[in-house]
This record gives sequence, C-alpha cells and structure tokens, in this order.
Amino acid sequence: MDKSFLEQVQIHKKNKLDGLHSKTKMIVLILYVICTFILAVKVTRLQLPLYQIAWFGVLLVIFALSGQFAKCLRGMRAVFVVFAVIVIAQSLIQPGGEILFKLGPITIEEHGLQKACNLGFMVLDVAGIFVWFFQTTSHKEIAAALREAGVNDKIAYVFVSTLKMIDEMGKNSRTIMNAQRARGIETEGNLMVRAKAFVPSLIPLVLTAITGAEERVVTLEARGFSVNAQKTSVFKLEKSGAETLVLIVSLLITVALAAWRIFLA
Amino acid sequence: MSTIMECKNVTYQYPLTDKPTLKNINIKIEKGKVYGVVGENGAGKTTFCAVLRGFAPSFYQGELQGEVELEGKNIVEYGGDISTRIGYVFQNPFTQISGVKDTVYEEVCYGLENFGVPVDEIDRRVREVMKLTNIESLAMQNPFEISGGQMQRVALASVIVLEPDVLVIDEPTSQLDPEGTESVFEVIKAMKEKHKTIVLVEHKIDLIAEYADEVIVFKDGEIVAHGPTEDILSDMSLLKKGVNLPQVAVLCSKLKEKGLPLEKIAVTDKEAVRVIEKALKERG
Repeated sequence: MDKSFLEQVQIHKKNKLDGLHSKTKMIVLILYVICTFILAVKVTRLQLPLYQIAWFGVLLVIFALSGQFAKCLRGMRAVFVVFAVIVIAQSLIQPGGEILFKLGPITIEEHGLQKACNLGFMVLDVAGIFVWFFQTTSHKEIAAALREAGVNDKIAYVFVSTLKMIDEMGKNSRTIMNAQRARGIETEGNLMVRAKAFVPSLIPLVLTAITGAEERVVTLEARGFSVNAQKTSVFKLEKSGAETLVLIVSLLITVALAAWRIFLA
Repeated sequence: MSTIMECKNVTYQYPLTDKPTLKNINIKIEKGKVYGVVGENGAGKTTFCAVLRGFAPSFYQGELQGEVELEGKNIVEYGGDISTRIGYVFQNPFTQISGVKDTVYEEVCYGLENFGVPVDEIDRRVREVMKLTNIESLAMQNPFEISGGQMQRVALASVIVLEPDVLVIDEPTSQLDPEGTESVFEVIKAMKEKHKTIVLVEHKIDLIAEYADEVIVFKDGEIVAHGPTEDILSDMSLLKKGVNLPQVAVLCSKLKEKGLPLEKIAVTDKEAVRVIEKALKERG
C-alpha cells in the first residue's frame, strides 16, 4: 500500500522485447506473418515445408527472449490442438503418392503428409505470433496504442470491450449452464447430449448480451463518452527503448528472406 | 432557493406504444434539494429520470412534447456535454461497468478521462471519491469481480467523481441486500451534505422519509402529489393511489384515530418515537 493507485495501474516491463510499444509489436507480427508465407517453400524429396518448421523455432526464441516462455506456451495449447487435428486428419484422409506408413487400416500417403505439414505449420506459425502478441500485450496497452494512433474512440471501444467481454461471457455461460442444468437440461455426456444443450444455453447468453448493451450505452453516455474534449488517459503507454533496433532487425530479416526467395530459391 | 431544472408540460411517448408514458409533467427542481420519486411499478418514474437526463427521446427515440430545462436552457442544447451537468445512476449494477477497464480505480477514472481532465487532477478527485464511497480497498480489483453492492457503489463513485450539479438516481438499491442498501445511502447522504440536487427513485419508503426533502408521487404517468416529505408521506389518502407509506406513519394515523393526541403524523422512526412518547406522557 506504499505505491499510489496511479502508480499501481501503470505497467512497467523490464524485458525489452516484452515491453515493446504495442505498435512495434504489431509491425513485428505482420512481418513475421509475411515471412511465414515467404518461407512456404517445399523442399526435400517429400516436398515438406522444412523452412516453416525452422521458422517456428524462431517463434520459440521470440517467446523465450520476451521472458514469457511459459505463458506463451500455455496460450499455445489450443493452437497445438488445432495443429494436431489438422496434421492427423490431413495425413490420414488425403490420398495420393507413395505409401509412407502402413499399420492395419491406417495408411499415410505422401500427399497427405505434405498437405498436413504445409497447412499445419502455416497455422502454427501464424497463430503462434498472435499468441505472442496477446500474451505479452494487455488490453490496456492495446487501448492506449489505438488511441495514440488516432483511431476513432468508438472503434477503439468496440475493439477493447470485445476482448474483455469474451472473458465475461465465458463466466456468464457457466452461470447459464448451471441454471439450465437445474431445470433438468443435461449438459454432460456424449456429443449428442452436449449439442442438444447448446441451444438452450446459447440463446439466453446472446439475449442477455443484447439487453445489456442498451444499458451499457446509457452507462457510457453517463460517463461522458460523447463529450467534446480531448480525452486524457491515466495509463501511460511506455516504450522499452528497443523499438528501433527491433524494427530494423525484423525488416532486415524480411528483406533478406524475400531476396533469397526471389533470387536464389 | 433557485430552480435548477424545470419540466414544462412534458408529455412523452415511447416508440411503438399507443399512449404516452408521461403526461403533462410540470415541475420545478430546486437547487440543493433531495427529491424522492415514488409510485407504483409502471407509473413512469424511470421514464421521468430518462427524460430529465435527456435519454428520452435522444436515445430511446419516441416523442417528447414540452420542454426540459437545465438552468433555463433546453437540455437538448447541451448535446453530449450534458453528462458534465447531470449524473445518472440506474438499477442494474452489473451493466454500469464500462467494460474497458481492468481495475476499479481506472473504472472510476474513466469519466474524467473522457472529459479530458489532466491526470494529476483525475488522481486527486478519484481518490477523494473512492474514500467517500468507501471503495478504496477495492481499488485494484476487477470491477466485474466484486459484489453487487460494491458494484453499485463503484457506479455511484464513477458518476459522483464527475461532480455534476444534478444527480438522477433510479432505484439504486433494488438489487441489493440491506447492507448494500445502507452503504449506497451513506453515499447519498454525503452528497446531500454537499448540497447536490438529487432526484431519487426508491421503493424503500422509509429511506425516502429519512433522506428526501420533497416527495413526488407518480401514478399512471402523471404527478398526483408533490410537496414536502412530511406532508406527502403523512397523507393517508395516498395509500389508495398505490403509494406505500412508511409503517410508522400508518401507525401514527391509526393511533390518532383511536384518540391518542399526537401533535403530528411522524414519517420517520425517530420522529414517531418522539411524538408517541410525548403524547403518552401528556396523557399520563
């Protein structure tokens, strides 16, 4: 209780990469995605996207250098699930080419593996950098960056409140699920049972969100959302000091990769 | 005392309805007074608040006749800046959170940020108001993860911090337990001491009896009675108009009927004890 509230709501990050200005992070994200596409080259006899796989290693290095390795990996869990589903489904379903592996009814063919790896690593890389962005950037920082960039207040509000509302709606949906269970709707069991429980849970969730929206508008108006004034902010967005360096490095990498792809590969 | 707000022949009809919700409302709101608004459900109390604040018709649409004035100027002319003059708090604490802030402290700051107040001043004012509303201990908590009573105090704090001249408060305690209700009224009392003009809709009539200077009674969209709190709440004929009078007032009236010479019909517990004691002593 030594620090003032004003001090407590600020975000100070020691790590230079973690503490990058949100705008710089966004540029890094875009460049990383561009590079992912540049690296979509198929190599080896099996035509696998080995460069994209290596590029994922770069992502892990970014996680680690940001000092948020564990947090980012936690955020990656859902991405890994999607990745696994894509790889398994694609490699099993897609026919064609040489048979690479056979065990009873399960066969993996060449084209299947190619498709699986291409799609899988593309998703892993692109989703991964987004995970890094959102795990190392709080809503508050995004909001402040949007305001600095001169984005319209209404758009900025919608963007930030959507991010926050996702958590809130998750909580609401659990409450509604419990209420519906109390009324005898089965919400646990096999896929069919869960699917049936979906509609009676979803409708109240959406309806409360809609009715709540009207009152939220009134709330915002009462707080002076549409006052004609240059808004101020209690939260000050900081720079880590490494912005220029990071920008130059990521631009250099992108240009180098693009040149390599155009002239050599 | 000077008039701060005035409704002149106000009739208001919501869209898609066939009759007006408010009919011929004429009232002068005087500076520094607390107005208790009572009446049955559907009598037009909430609509009255919305009209005072200008949400009807600007936000709810519908048709408004007559004029609502703040310091002699139609509230429409204030535009978005009306929020600097009239504070508005309503029933549901859960939807009165801006939804873009991580902590209660920042939530309370939100309005002042919108007004473009310098950060140092925001910090000073917010700390002051948080102390007043007793939410300092919640400062670093997520505004969505506190109790309903606490949320309502946060909502009140977020509006009070804007230092509006008029506070319109619509059933602030209808979703709260007795403890939450008490804490909200502590804040209203503090505002009253600061000589803010307050228009308060509240069903808990004992609280109206205690805090309001004047009472406005609504029935079917019309003002059927208006006057000093004691006069209105001791008027037994209002029971027939669907107004819930304080139990002590009903008791006093019955005792008087039975021949106990009460000097007046008390409307608050404290007053009732005093008058009844006095009457009993006189009788010996």
